[in-house]
Amino acid sequence: MLSSTILGYITFAYFASFILYLLMMVMGRDFLGRLATYVTFAGLTIQTFAIILRWVESYRLGIGHAPLSNLYESLIFFAWTIIFLYMIIELRTKTRTLGAFVTPLAFLALAYASFSPGMETHIQPLIPALKSNWLIAHVITCFFGYAAFGLSLALSIMYLIKRLENDQSKSIFLKLIPRPGILDELNYQMVIIGFLMLALGIITGAVWAHSAWGSYWTWDPKETWSLITWLVYASVIHSRMVRGWKGKKISILCIIGFCCVLFTYFGVNYLAGLHSYAK
Amino acid sequence: MPKSSTEKSQNLIWGLFSSVRLTIVLLIILAITSILGTIIPQQDDAISLAKQLNPGLFRLFQSLDLFDMYHSIWFRLLIGFLALNLVICSIDRFPNALRRFRAVPKPDRSKPFEHLPSEQAFLTEASLKEASATVARFLRSRYKNLHHKETQETSYFLGEKGRFSHFGVYLVHLSVLIILIGALLGSFFGFEAYVNILEGERIDAVALRKGGGPLKLGFEVACDKFTVDFYENGAPREYRSELRFFIEGKEAEKADLLVNHPFQFKGITFYQSSYGTVPGNKVSLRIAGPGLGPKGETMGVEADKPYDLPGGEGQFSVRDIRGDIMDLGPAILISVQPSDGKETHFWVFQNWEIVKKRLPPPMAKSTKFNPSAFKPYTFFLDGVKTKYYTGLQVNKDPGVPMVWLGCFAMVLGFLMTFFMSHRKTWVQVSEKRDEIKISVAGTANKDQVGLKRHLERLTNDLRNRLDERGK
Repeated sequence: MLSSTILGYITFAYFASFILYLLMMVMGRDFLGRLATYVTFAGLTIQTFAIILRWVESYRLGIGHAPLSNLYESLIFFAWTIIFLYMIIELRTKTRTLGAFVTPLAFLALAYASFSPGMETHIQPLIPALKSNWLIAHVITCFFGYAAFGLSLALSIMYLIKRLENDQSKSIFLKLIPRPGILDELNYQMVIIGFLMLALGIITGAVWAHSAWGSYWTWDPKETWSLITWLVYASVIHSRMVRGWKGKKISILCIIGFCCVLFTYFGVNYLAGLHSYAK
Repeated sequence: MPKSSTEKSQNLIWGLFSSVRLTIVLLIILAITSILGTIIPQQDDAISLAKQLNPGLFRLFQSLDLFDMYHSIWFRLLIGFLALNLVICSIDRFPNALRRFRAVPKPDRSKPFEHLPSEQAFLTEASLKEASATVARFLRSRYKNLHHKETQETSYFLGEKGRFSHFGVYLVHLSVLIILIGALLGSFFGFEAYVNILEGERIDAVALRKGGGPLKLGFEVACDKFTVDFYENGAPREYRSELRFFIEGKEAEKADLLVNHPFQFKGITFYQSSYGTVPGNKVSLRIAGPGLGPKGETMGVEADKPYDLPGGEGQFSVRDIRGDIMDLGPAILISVQPSDGKETHFWVFQNWEIVKKRLPPPMAKSTKFNPSAFKPYTFFLDGVKTKYYTGLQVNKDPGVPMVWLGCFAMVLGFLMTFFMSHRKTWVQVSEKRDEIKISVAGTANKDQVGLKRHLERLTNDLRNRLDERGK
């Protein structure tokens, strides 16, 4: 499959942008940052085409469906949404330091997709339960939510690192990270986007489950973990909006929140696997 | 004083439930306890774990309802507390929001204009009258209700947008309640059931998931045909049940049921859920013996019908058809009734060559499992015609529209809470020492960056409008 070959190469593109963003922060050179942006943007453009190509390829195979149907395709889309959201933020805030913390997420997702043994990279036909118009809406909303939470994780880590800076520190790396206030504000915006998107993801999932299996909520582990994640971010929003929590506490809650995201995404499969093994 | 003490305790309870700290604690407790149910197998799956646990631990789990925790009283109580907390918090804070919503601001406030950035003011050559008329016209096109005040040397304007954003949070909270009420409606007035229908058969009752005997539907459902389609790689492509619905024996409706395409009849919804096969009442049989050729004679045989033996020695019939016996595969029970003599019964397996070697010796020697038990013939089972049955999920949930309404309200509430802000914009047209100055200021309850951008844009638009005047 040409699309999966191309997507394999994009893994290296995002790795290169990670190294470039990192070098920019260590050496404090502007041109490295500009180069990093170009590489990331090129990667995103080619990845967009590769995803469209995969869609076209599925139609050529006679089993046409949006490339959002299995773990491989979801990882590809996850990496895409992270970089897409990041590029918008870089464009709007004109700061590149976030890149060094976000590109590794996209790189890891793509590396896992492309190089993990046993990963099914072929285009598979859709089983009856997946044949629904809700598939696209559900996956897109969920993954935009995950990506926003991924950016929130990156911003939280940056916030905690920035706190290490004091009057004596001469590190360019620390100096280049934006002011804590800006990080905190941006983090909150990411949490809001993620929270709304996850809510939409859960709702579209419920509508879909209702038409496929007859009930909108069954406390299945994946459903439950997505609710747990949503509750954690709901408490982030309440503690900030009403109780005025900021900074460190929020950052730590956001890191916990992203651990829940990871568990919802990957851990649940492991859990189900454990269960079937235990039986 | 009993009265004051009850008042005090009421205040204490009110104070507890109107605190957002309780909300955060409840959200975290719900999140953590929910994890338990994803680790401990629930409901039917719990049996395998329950067998492995030691009795003490088992009793503990049992008494805490950990094998069905999402339906346990304590978990429902937690959700109930959260709902109560949400209601009381909302009642407690709503009057403030209402006040902010209703507040009629003064157009001639000067505080917003303190420390006004230079890019939010400009001078114009128009006369005071002309300038305020132009500004008024422009603002009226932008704001539905524009407050206006006039003095000798100044015109004051105030435009407002997004007042309703104060209610966003309450809409979200209300939506959670609506969803919970929808869920309660479903659990009180709905049911979850299932039924298997053999191709060509009719049912009038379904089995409830939680047990408690069959439930009469009040109508009949027939499955005329079930088909399953596969892709080249063996994965299923489509399951389809062709159903017919009967009221008092009369056909009322016809429908094809597919996964993701449920069908509703008289308030009850049918979902394609599973399928399976059972042996039908037809088998393909082969009889070998003298004068029947090297392969024997093949014939289709229906159960419980007598057939003549090839040589006319008597009759035989198939008495029983099994899809599987002792994990040895399909088998049929044949009964031979010779014209003179005793009736013989014996089982004939489909995979006889393999089954022969796997049967325990005493059974292998028995005539009961010998396909050549009636001399001189040997019976072979070539195949059992199987029949499909379709497995349907049968649900009734009157709470669903309520749940969807709640979801819709929640999304709307989020948009109001997070992306709308209550913006007040003041514009002054003032005359000082023969110069006409126009200044723009504003406040917002959220999104200060967006407010600044908005004010600068408005200033520019006003300047352009005044430059164009008369052209």
